[in-house]
Amino acid sequence: MENLISKKDLLEEANISYGQLYRWKRKNLIPENWFIRKSTFTGQETFFPKEDILLRIEKIKTLKDDLSLDELADMFSPSPTLTSLSAEELTKRNIVSQTALDMFNNFHGPNQSFSFNQLVTLYVLNSLLQTGDVNRAEGIDLLQLFHDQAQTVNNAGSELIFIRKMGVSFFILTPEPANLFIEPQAKKIAHYKISQCIQELKLKLS
Amino acid sequence: MERTQLKNISISGSGTSSGGEYDQVKVNGSAHIHGDLICEQFKCNGSAHLEGNITTDTAKINGSTHFEGDVEVKEMTINGSTDIDGNLLCDELKVQGSSTIKGNVKGKEIIVRGSASVNGNVSSDEIDVKGQVKIKGDCEAESFEARGNFKIDGLVNAGTIDVELLRHCEAKEIGGENIMVKKTRDASGFKKLIKFFMSNHNDQLTAEVIEGDNLYLEHTHAEVVRGNTVEIGPGCDIKRVEYKTSLEIDPDAKVGSQEKI
Repeated sequence: MENLISKKDLLEEANISYGQLYRWKRKNLIPENWFIRKSTFTGQETFFPKEDILLRIEKIKTLKDDLSLDELADMFSPSPTLTSLSAEELTKRNIVSQTALDMFNNFHGPNQSFSFNQLVTLYVLNSLLQTGDVNRAEGIDLLQLFHDQAQTVNNAGSELIFIRKMGVSFFILTPEPANLFIEPQAKKIAHYKISQCIQELKLKLS
Repeated sequence: MERTQLKNISISGSGTSSGGEYDQVKVNGSAHIHGDLICEQFKCNGSAHLEGNITTDTAKINGSTHFEGDVEVKEMTINGSTDIDGNLLCDELKVQGSSTIKGNVKGKEIIVRGSASVNGNVSSDEIDVKGQVKIKGDCEAESFEARGNFKIDGLVNAGTIDVELLRHCEAKEIGGENIMVKKTRDASGFKKLIKFFMSNHNDQLTAEVIEGDNLYLEHTHAEVVRGNTVEIGPGCDIKRVEYKTSLEIDPDAKVGSQEKI
């Protein structure tokens, strides 16, 4: 069961008003499917996925002074913004590490410029390598998975889960929201939401 | 971009066309258009039936028109009656007659002086209604102004909501920054005439939930009202009020329970 927060608690916890919440919803800063309706003793109430919404509001609050609401909406939308970026720029701006870039090039052949979807793959690979969650061989598996399932990855509403049990590891790519129950011996090493990664990536690119 | 000179079509009497790309399309009698239409100007003074989609700069309908596809237009004026089976995308929409739209409506400025009914969602910068509106989906705007009757089955979400009630208005949920609901006080001749025929109807708004920063409500029946500064005016019947800064209740209002948060 996903952790939900009621609208009233959310306003208090995030210290925002009803007007702000409705305004952001109008501007598509908060996705429609986060508004979850449930019956309670006071009638129908609206709930939100707690972690997602708090994170989103935190971001809106920190960024809204620098960016217009429309620019923010662009950033949060899963559709790609720019078309390509060169390899040189990627490392110079410290968006991904040289290691990740080399691995990607070894797998796909030398590449000078990267499309947005390739950037997403690179970004995910880079984060997993940086945290030490996966090793190089496993990184190759990830590249293979993202290559085979490009369509699913591009749909943005998917989650990536990395599981290891007694030294054997594998990736799972599944549509959002993922509800997985794992046996006790297996360990969930990493759990990424692709949409979240896309946001972070856009933030780094802008 | 240099464009080749486009041709006009004018149908006077009864005629058919297969659609295509034109400069001006004028219908003075009855016309049936079988395909998609792209033009600068569409004008219908009689009756027209279009089987495809239409993209045009301006559309003016003085008679009756039925569009089976989507309509994309910068400026649209409906003085007669119009049915659109698809979606409507416009900058400026003025409905002075009646119109029914089965899809969604997206615009910058929507003015209704007659009656409009939409089966999908409506979103626009400005919505100004003096007449009657029915919306089956949600309605979003920066400013929503209504002097008349409305029935909205979804959520009304607007920066400023300014309503003068006529007869029984309904919305499932209302949310926004400033929300003001009032009963019309000036009884113009037209109003009196309507009232004369519909004497049994009281001016009233019914909603399940109303949430906003600054609220002023009159003659409103709601389950829950939540806001920062809340003023409950005469004729209200509200089960529960939650407020943050201030709450004022008129002696003629009925409030079940109130809570400061």
